[in-house]
Amino acid sequence: MSTATAAVPAARNRFVADRLFLSLAVMATAILLALVLLDGQPASAGLILGGFALGIAFFKFEFSYTASWRRFLTKGEAGGLIGGLIAIAIAAVAVVPVAALFPNYGGAIAPLGPSLIIGAFTFGIGMQLAGGCGSGTLYTAGAGSGRMLVALAFFVVGSVFGSLSLPAFLALGGVDPILASDYLGPWGGLVATLASLALAAFVIALVAKKRGANFKPSRAYVAGGVIIGLLLIAVFAAGGHPWSVTFGYTVWGAKIARTFGVDFSNAAFWKWPGPQHALTDSVLTDTSSLTDFGMLLGAMAAAAEAKPFASGAWPPAKSLLAAVVGGLVMGWGARLGFGCNIGAFVGGVASGSLHGWVWFGCALAGCFIGIRLRPLFGLSRE
Amino acid sequence: MRKVYIVVVLAGLALVVFQHLSSASTGRAVSPEDFAGACAPCGAPCPSKK
Repeated sequence: MSTATAAVPAARNRFVADRLFLSLAVMATAILLALVLLDGQPASAGLILGGFALGIAFFKFEFSYTASWRRFLTKGEAGGLIGGLIAIAIAAVAVVPVAALFPNYGGAIAPLGPSLIIGAFTFGIGMQLAGGCGSGTLYTAGAGSGRMLVALAFFVVGSVFGSLSLPAFLALGGVDPILASDYLGPWGGLVATLASLALAAFVIALVAKKRGANFKPSRAYVAGGVIIGLLLIAVFAAGGHPWSVTFGYTVWGAKIARTFGVDFSNAAFWKWPGPQHALTDSVLTDTSSLTDFGMLLGAMAAAAEAKPFASGAWPPAKSLLAAVVGGLVMGWGARLGFGCNIGAFVGGVASGSLHGWVWFGCALAGCFIGIRLRPLFGLSRE
Repeated sequence: MRKVYIVVVLAGLALVVFQHLSSASTGRAVSPEDFAGACAPCGAPCPSKK
């Protein structure tokens, strides 16, 4: 048999497999949509679809907080970092005033204290080891990266441990959330938020220029920033709060642990009304889980449509170990830091909450350490 | 890796459907921040409320 004739069945098999995963993603999404619509919950359907669209957008624009922060720290390149700020600025235009003016909506707020600082710093280390942050782990796992599927599993485990640690770290003290709109009103708060973003972009660009690196975001990053910013507004409109990723992971982990007999009834975190409700009720009534499921499946559909799905080989053991350690550390850090780069940084800053910027600074410092640890696992610093 | 993905997606979907159908669903999707006293996306209380 010639090489040419042997290649034909191989290509056909690959095509069939891609259609299989595309169908699987669409079918799973349709089932989830049907379940929430049968309960008469169009907003829940909106969250699933919003997550689905975010999965496609992150995949198509290769939007990566982890890689762009690493490029900034190692080479001074700031285009990706500034592209991420574009998405936040667009979201802020809706989130800051609406959260302040309409009682059914709220921003992503969090107290400032040791828990936030330690959590965000730890998360930064983990995201560089795992090679993905909250959103990055979700969409790359959905898009067929076995390594990131492993990172996601351990992210879930780490976040359950984080839920058990958080009350003790909160006991170390802290101050209540500081929200720009509380001091300056809805529109003054928006102006202050946009000014803080402009100042951050200016400083980041200045650092890049000083290091002789590029600070202009690529067209893909600008387009991605705009589209993701608009999708952030859509998710906010459907859920009443900015997009949050990692609380869903904690709920999944606790629900699974409970089926294996783990008792959370004495855990302080799971006695708080929100987590208690999430643990006992359907996973499809948790806003974070709904967008997470949508994003996983959206990224899967986009990846299956674009290329052979999950066709790569498993990475070396050391790289998988980095995914395990990074996932665990990120999960723990996300609970202590009140979220990941999405819930705490993007959501926090887009809400005009000071904790978002504190989280960013601490996570960036953690990334600095995480990048230095990467060679231990056979990973490049760049 | 493809087989692993098929298993994970189908098992995950089955778990979600089973968990949803066997839970006391309240219907409307909520975030922990929707509950009184919540001070963070995970529902943690404010330091001043302790």
